[in-house]
Order: sequence, then C-alpha cells, then structure tokens
Amino acid sequence: MKYTVEVAGRTHEVELIEGSAGPSILVNGKPFDLGYREIDRHGQVVCQLDGNSYALSVEGDGHRTRVTLAGHDYHLEIEDERERAANLAARAASRGGGPVKAVMPGVVVELLVEPGAEVTEGQPLLILEAMKMQNEIGAPGPARVSAVHVNAGQAVAAGDPLVTLEAIEDGSDPTGA
Amino acid sequence: MFKRILIANRGEIALRIIRTAREMGIECVAVYSDADAGALHTRMAHVAVPLGGSAPGESYLVMDKVLAAAKATGAEAIHPGYGFLSENAVFAEKVKAAGLAWIGPPSQAITSMGDKIISRREMEKAGVPAVPGLTDPVDDAAAAVKAAEAIGYPIAIKAAAGGGGKGIRVVREPEGMESAFRTASGEAQSAFGDGRLYLERYLDSPRHIEVQVLFDTHGNGVHLFERECSVQRRHQKLLEECPSPTIDEATRQAMGEVALRAAHHVNYEGAGTVEFLWSAGEFFFLEMNTRLQVEHPITEMTTGVDLVREQIRVAAGEELGYTQDDLAQTGHSIEVRINAEDSYGGFLPSTGVCRNLRAPGGPWVRLDSAMYDGLEVGLSYDPMLAKLIVWGQDRDQAIARMERAIAETNVGGVKTGLPAALAVLGHPRFRSGDYDTHFLESLTLEPPAEYDELVAAAAVLYRRKRNERSAMSPDAADRSGWSERSRRDSSAYAKRRLERGGAR
Repeated sequence: MKYTVEVAGRTHEVELIEGSAGPSILVNGKPFDLGYREIDRHGQVVCQLDGNSYALSVEGDGHRTRVTLAGHDYHLEIEDERERAANLAARAASRGGGPVKAVMPGVVVELLVEPGAEVTEGQPLLILEAMKMQNEIGAPGPARVSAVHVNAGQAVAAGDPLVTLEAIEDGSDPTGA
Repeated sequence: MFKRILIANRGEIALRIIRTAREMGIECVAVYSDADAGALHTRMAHVAVPLGGSAPGESYLVMDKVLAAAKATGAEAIHPGYGFLSENAVFAEKVKAAGLAWIGPPSQAITSMGDKIISRREMEKAGVPAVPGLTDPVDDAAAAVKAAEAIGYPIAIKAAAGGGGKGIRVVREPEGMESAFRTASGEAQSAFGDGRLYLERYLDSPRHIEVQVLFDTHGNGVHLFERECSVQRRHQKLLEECPSPTIDEATRQAMGEVALRAAHHVNYEGAGTVEFLWSAGEFFFLEMNTRLQVEHPITEMTTGVDLVREQIRVAAGEELGYTQDDLAQTGHSIEVRINAEDSYGGFLPSTGVCRNLRAPGGPWVRLDSAMYDGLEVGLSYDPMLAKLIVWGQDRDQAIARMERAIAETNVGGVKTGLPAALAVLGHPRFRSGDYDTHFLESLTLEPPAEYDELVAAAAVLYRRKRNERSAMSPDAADRSGWSERSRRDSSAYAKRRLERGGAR
C-alpha cells in the first residue's frame, strides 16, 4: 500500500510491501531499513535507522498524526491511495470561499461584518479573544460574506465555522491550472 | 517564623512555594477550583481547601473565599504567587486587615507601581530614566494621533492597568492608529476592567533586561543582578537567561543601582523586579513587577539565593542578614517556559490532555512543573505548564545543557513552545548573544526536514499497527459506520445484541 505523508507541508511517499517477515518499506521510492518497536500502547516507540536509535512519541488517529522526537514536533497528514483520491476531489470542489473557521477556542468579542458585505483580503471580519489576547480574524481573500454563524459574546471551539465567504472572482483561473 | 501559610495560587508556582515552605518546616494550605481538584498543588499541600468554581473569577480571584480558607485552616500568612491576586493592593490590605501576614510588598507600593501612569510619574520624581512618552492617558484614536506627532513614531499603545504584554499595540504610522487603538482598548477592558491607554515611543532593537531586588522591613535592600528576557513574542517571554550577554559590568552595576533607587522610592519590601528596556547602550525604566517573577529561578541558580525563602523570611519580619557585597553571579542559567501553544502555528493556544510525559533530568537541570499524565489543559488558566531551568559554568555549557534537556523532554496531548525554544537555542543570532525583543517573531519556525523520512515511515507503521489492533478487537464491528446507523435506526440491532449475549 502506498501512503502520501505531508510533514510540515513537505510531501513524502511511503510504501509498505507486505511480506512474510513483516512489511518492507520504501520512502520516496528508496528502500528504508527501519527498525520499529512499540514500547507501550500509548504511542512510545523506539526506532533504529542506520545504526542510530530514536525515541519517538506518536499520537493521533492514523490520518492526522503527531510525532515528537528529541524536542521536535511533527504534525503529519497521512492518506492512502483511496483517501488521497477522495480528498483531492473534495479540495477541488471547495476552491475559493467556504467557511472561515476558528483556529483556536475562544470568545467572539466583536463582529465587524454583516451578511452581504464585500471584503478585501486581510480585512478584519471579527475579533476573537483567546488566552486573554484579542485577535483580528481577517478574510483570506476578496469575498462576499454569505453568512455569519456567531454572535458577539459567543464562545467557540476550534474548528467552529465563524463566517462563510463566497469568493469574488479576481480574474485568475479558478481551476488553478 | 510562621507555622502554616496559605498559597493563593495554582500550577507550578504553587508547587514552587510549597517546596520551599516544606523545607522551612512550614505547613502549606492550598486552595483549588473544581477544575483543579486533582492538580498537583492540591495533592502536595498539607491541607487543601476547595474554592468551588472553575474560571478564575469564580475561584482564585475571589478574595473573600481565599481569606475564609486562611481563617478556617489557621494560616498565618498568604503567599499570592504571580498573577491572580499577587498585584492586587485591595487584597493585600484585606489580608492585613484579617490579621494575617502578606508575603508581598506594601499595598501602597503595589498601587504606585501597578498603574503605569502613576509609576512613570513616581519614577520621574526618583530620577529614574523612562522612555519618551505621555504620562496621561489618551481619550481616543484621534487624540492619540495628535499626541504621537510630538513623541515620534513608532508608537507603543499600552494599557494603563496592564501587565504581561496584554493590551499593547505598536503603531508605525498614523493610518494604523484607529484599528490598534480599538483592539488595545478592548483587550485592556476585558483583561483588567480598565480600558485607559497611554502612548510612548517604541524603541527599535530593544532588549528587555530586568533586575531582581529584595528588601526587608528594616530598611535593607539588595539587588540580585539582571535577567535577560528579550526572547519574546507578542510581549510574552519564552526563554530567559542570566547573566545578560549584552551588558557590561558597569551597566550591570548602574542598572542594579537604579533598580534599588526605584524600589526604595516606593518603600518596597520583599522580592520585586524592575524591568528595563535597553537600546543602543541606554536603558529606560519600563515597569516594576511587585511580586515574584515567573523567571525567578535563573536568579536563584546564579546567586544561590532561594527567593521564596527570602520572601517568607521578610514577611515574618526577619532581616536580610547580608549586603550587596555578599552577593555574586556565578555561572550561567537559562529558563525555557513550557507553554501549551503551537510553535509552528503563530503560538496559538493549544488545548488537550497531557500524555506521554517524559521529564528531563541529570546534573544542573531543574523542572518546575505542574504537569501530570491526564492533566486537562483548557482555556480557563494561564497556558504555562512548566519551566525548564538549567545551570552551566558558562553560557555555552548552559545552552548545550538546555538543548540536551529539551531533547529528553516529551509532552504529548498538547503542543508546546519547546520546538520554538530549540530553534532559538540553535540560532546563530542567539548564539552570538546579539538578539533583541523582535528576534523570536522574526524566526520562520518549522520542524527540521532531516527527520522527515523517519517520522513519515514511523507514523505509517504506527497507523498499520493501530489498524491491525482495532481489526482484531472484538468491538471492531460496532465501530464501523453501518453498525452506528443500525444502532440508531434499527430495532434489529438490539435483537442481535441480545442474541449475542447482552450488554457489555
């Protein structure tokens, strides 16, 4: 099975070829002789590679996965071939516009736009307070506000939709070719 | 000396105080919110009193609840830690009125130094240099634009009642004033209940250097040298070191003397910190923090003085018993704050449950931590979970030791600022010592690519193992999509379950 793994925006391909003595691994097309041992069921892992030992901590659902290693912190998105095809189609369909979501939990302090308003790139849509800091949430691009999902004073969780935008054509090719 | 004290705080600082108090033979009373019923400070105190509530406004900030807890447990003194009620002059007064000792400065000193506008005026009187700016608050953005012309851009807008970087905005041209004024005022209002703002010149390439002072109630005062705190983002410190790699011995002495003068002017008692901005060889008074500072351990590591012990001794009426000449800085110390935040996502707060914790150890490594496996990190409290502190004979050794200690540390379940600290420690500008308060924000942070293939392959193997395990699990069928639907929609599901042997 082939997997596409995004590591901090960098794409790598990992292929597992099942064999009688466990899978052999190809990373970016090259054989990858990795020793892998799970210490517990909580994600403590020790790996051997090229004679070196690495203590990793892995958590996540297998799709969005986090690996910490020697103080570094890697957030990965893993797709197998079938998931990759489905996700590519979904991304193509939602290009431009879409919901602006809360990237962190917080409280909406003030709404700065109303439905129907046209906004420019970076224009503040609302102010979200998190950890006692006020953050202006800006429009990702030129757009029309098609819906506002929150009220001032409302608490929101990370991932909650705040405002839905409808992209305004800026003359570029929407297929992104 | 006191037999029993109450600690009106939570997290690592409550533990820090408990540790010294225990060493002094003093019993500790902890107070805790509902959310902190299982917290380490609740567990490690001699006595723990519930305050109820979870948000600080329902628990740690309710003065009468804290005072009632002290009374009920027979505590003789209250240590406020930092944050919460530590710089609340009204609370300091109430503690004294209740016949208890306040392990902190006199309320008058808190009032004078707590309001930035009053403190500026007082420091002018004491001959302590301050950054060019206004000593009066401005009413609105239009007035601010006018005032800014006289002071000169760039301008820093600051909350009169501020602290910890909240409510501060930098404006580089008149066009940016309105938006900055609005958000700063809102932030100040919600954080401090006081939206008043004032303006001052924003110094380019500044360094944040602060001096620790310590006064007893008999008129004796010393400084314990400086701490370099320029590694910040949005005015929140990430890493501090001591001594500062920037200032020379003459500046160190001058800063110490000015800090003593500033503290003396407000009749200071106990431990406090005078913050300066240093820029191009000049230093200016920024503010005084009338409490124990988060980064106090690096001063402890380089001077050998336990600042919490000194605070308690002073509050009990003891004399310092030493003079400036008895104090010296030895070696080099670095602290890294372990905050629940996303190093690679603009330091946005991270929430979750702490898992897979591995603490660093070894020689000259100190971990002041409130973390435990299963700790829920939410948004109600400060995101600082722990502080990692090291000491070395010199700066290079301290840096190497901190890198080693961070590499040993693992925090799962929430993101932390540790990767950012690693990036700072390895950066040539930090290594050279030539960095300013904009340094951290100027870094492009991303995990090093050298481990990409390793973590990608390991994560794929982890996923494969995980899928194998769940496929073998007897509950596997129940978790698939179709059985979710059948559980909701079909009475046949209940029937099947009965046939299969009933509920689990």
